[in-house]
Amino acid sequence: MTPPPSDRPEDTVDPKLLEILVCPVTKGPLEFDGKRQELISRSARLAYPIRDGIPIMLPEEARKIE
Amino acid sequence: MDREDQTHFGFRDVPLVDKQTLVNDVFHSVAQRYDLMNDLMSGGLHRVWKDVLITALNPPRSDAPFSLLDVAGGTGDIAFRAAKAAGHGFQTTVCDINPDMLAVGRERAIKTHLDHQVSFVEGNAEALAFADRSFDAYTIAFGIRNVPRIDAALREAFRVLKPGGRLLCLEFSTVDVPGLDKIYDLFSFKVIPPLGRTVTGDADSYQYLVESIRNFPKPNAFADMIRDAGFARVTWQALSGGIVALHSGWRL
Repeated sequence: MTPPPSDRPEDTVDPKLLEILVCPVTKGPLEFDGKRQELISRSARLAYPIRDGIPIMLPEEARKIE
Repeated sequence: MDREDQTHFGFRDVPLVDKQTLVNDVFHSVAQRYDLMNDLMSGGLHRVWKDVLITALNPPRSDAPFSLLDVAGGTGDIAFRAAKAAGHGFQTTVCDINPDMLAVGRERAIKTHLDHQVSFVEGNAEALAFADRSFDAYTIAFGIRNVPRIDAALREAFRVLKPGGRLLCLEFSTVDVPGLDKIYDLFSFKVIPPLGRTVTGDADSYQYLVESIRNFPKPNAFADMIRDAGFARVTWQALSGGIVALHSGWRL
């Protein structure tokens, strides 16, 4: 039996994963910016990048925002 | 420097901030041949130890939802084993601090069509990016030893587990069988670093590996650390004469 094909392209992040992700610094909510492929933490003023579908949830890798 | 800011890197005492960098270097340098090296070093035994972990995890074979967080499991080894043992309701999130290990894991997930059940996140075990009470189980196999602040990682494990959720930690331990301890020492210090050099081109990383194993707390002391993080019914079992121990704790 062939396994069911994945229903998402290889370079996008799993929507089920987005539901449980929080900011690792403040544990506050994140906003998903699909265009920039970033997860924005307003409470920490950080934008975490998503690279090749993998969220990089490290403050040292995040972009500082105003 | 204040001693509280120091931690072990193998037998060297290093500042906490440096340990993460040094550990990252180890895994950058060995990511591609990590699983091969595990086979060679353990004579294939690491597969048996991981099977014991999966048996203890006992994920539902039905379609009942079950979510696992596997920390420090970048290449997906534990996640794929668990997914194969589980039913369609099973979801794993693999969290690793090392992008090279994660890249290997994600490639494998896509190749084996398990990418709809296994997600990958780059993150730090000491500061997890998951909401409180998100997971039914938390596993970490041969990873906790490399975390600079083990107590912080255990507290985070407790936080992200649902009440009724379980922590399972597989880690090198203390050989307690007379005779085997001598052989194990000889093998660790005389065989593994040169073997690491031959296979991965990196003897230093494997020198670190054997030294860090000796520095890891004894199984009883580690069980106490798990209790201190809030876990109940903490138990452990020695495998292969104590080369490895499997610790378990519940968030009640």
